[in-house]
Amino acid sequence: MKDYIKLGGILFIIAAVASGILAFVNNVTSPIISENQLLNEQSARNEVLPDAVKFEEVDSEIVYYIGFDKEDNVVGYTFVAEGSGYSGVLHTMVGVDTEFKINRIKVILQSETPGLGANSENPEFTDQFNGRIKDELAVDKDGGEIVSITGATITSRAITESLSSMMKVVALDLETSHNDTFVENEEVK
Amino acid sequence: MSSFKELTKGLVKENPVFVMALGLCPTLATSTSIVNAVGMGLAATFVLLCSNILISMIKDLVPSKVRIPCYIVLIASFTTIVDMLMEAFVPAVHKSLGVFIPLIVVNCIILGRAEAFASKNNVWNSALDGIGMGLGFTLALVVIAFFRELLGTGQLLGFQIAPLSYQPVLVAILAPGAFLTLGLIMSIISIMKKKSQSGQEIRG
Amino acid sequence: MNIFALSVSAILVNNFILSRIMGLCPYIGVSKKLDSAFGMGMAVIFVMTLASTITWIIQHYLLVPFNIGYLQTIAFILTIASLVQFVEMVIQKMAPALYKSLGVYLPLITTNCAVLGVSIININDGLSFIESVLNGFLGGVGFTLVLIIMAGLRERLEKADIPEHMQGMPIAFILAGSMALAFLGFSGLKI
Repeated sequence: MKDYIKLGGILFIIAAVASGILAFVNNVTSPIISENQLLNEQSARNEVLPDAVKFEEVDSEIVYYIGFDKEDNVVGYTFVAEGSGYSGVLHTMVGVDTEFKINRIKVILQSETPGLGANSENPEFTDQFNGRIKDELAVDKDGGEIVSITGATITSRAITESLSSMMKVVALDLETSHNDTFVENEEVK
Repeated sequence: MSSFKELTKGLVKENPVFVMALGLCPTLATSTSIVNAVGMGLAATFVLLCSNILISMIKDLVPSKVRIPCYIVLIASFTTIVDMLMEAFVPAVHKSLGVFIPLIVVNCIILGRAEAFASKNNVWNSALDGIGMGLGFTLALVVIAFFRELLGTGQLLGFQIAPLSYQPVLVAILAPGAFLTLGLIMSIISIMKKKSQSGQEIRG
Repeated sequence: MNIFALSVSAILVNNFILSRIMGLCPYIGVSKKLDSAFGMGMAVIFVMTLASTITWIIQHYLLVPFNIGYLQTIAFILTIASLVQFVEMVIQKMAPALYKSLGVYLPLITTNCAVLGVSIININDGLSFIESVLNGFLGGVGFTLVLIIMAGLRERLEKADIPEHMQGMPIAFILAGSMALAFLGFSGLKI
């Protein structure tokens, strides 16, 4: 019995020291990681809605941003549509104008097959979405106009459907809750 | 064994991938491009070096019965450190390598060297062994990635090498390409070995 | 949650060995004889299922609430090491012949990328508890399937006339590559 306690004790000490060191490294690196993430999201927002010079976060049931120009006029909205692709989650940043027509999209997170689903990041695929409204979003295989990537139907469909449903959710939220739920979180370009 | 030999044995003669067939999963999965190969190779080398050194330092303090779990905790810690550092400082490579970064902890090479070498040798030699094996691993990854990236995308390091009319063999950067490339390279090595052996016999 | 769709995905489309490239060491090492391949497969199914279960619980009830997500690798691998130790003892008692034939490859299940891999994938893909357990089980089934097919092929290969420089490892990998190519055909499967 004493043997086991001694063995367990040594393992425990090593694990405890290891955890301590990891906690330290975590404290050092996690602010850098969050900072990177914020910067990436910000630059994606600017890419999909270039006319906006500042963004205000709306934090209701879902998170989205309202884009304003220099004179504080609303130029559009940005949000992230999430879907499940072939080999993991898909995150697409969407910028829409005031009439809820897509300005531009950017796939910001994907782990699809290189050469197939991963090509969803290319403008050949994403440019198709420019100018569309939420009812014009379906892939060709489902009777719509979006041309799927060859050999990546699942990825194409997942992105398209995630855009369609997220646009509907954001539009609904704007109509119902409107100005009541703003969170003061201005970002200057 | 001289220090130089300790360092270089892992590069060719005892190459962990081509000779000892260790660490196959990350080799086949991350050799899709030279950048990924170097990223994974260096990350694994870092973990291997640190774990070899530390395990060699504490080898007399850890009772034999509980040594494997202890080694695993140490290797897992260094793996986590490398994971966090890569996510903070090279996020693009971190994203490409994905789940294979935490999987460095189950890379047979690392636990294998800990058990076979670091637990029985001094710190200096263990460090050299770690560097040598790690670089050998990296070398193997880069060799495989060279062929897969070139054939599969027509590019090397992101630069277009093949003429634009080249239709890339997509399968090369997918799973089947990994297996086939490794199999072919191993058969070439087998031929080279036979030639050097018969050469030695003739020379007597 | 469609069980059939999950099965097709975990066993065929995203097969751990031929598609995700995880679990290769036992694949190359144990797949020479049909019996040991089958035995190894059963052990792996058991470990993958249990590992998926326990690691999911650890992630959601320990690591996340206490904000120690960075301890995931250590916690998961220690869990798996203990599980394998446990399975080893059980097999030694209940099936000593199998224990002998698996030899050193049984404790090596700890370093099987597929076991740790499925645990992490369950978390990264945001699967629910039931989905994770199923993914572990079905992933193991897919692993066993490929192992058995490979063993059957390699037993046949013993009698074939293989060029000298291809014998052993090279032909095993070429065989695996051909199988992976075949499995690639599942990738467009729509349920």
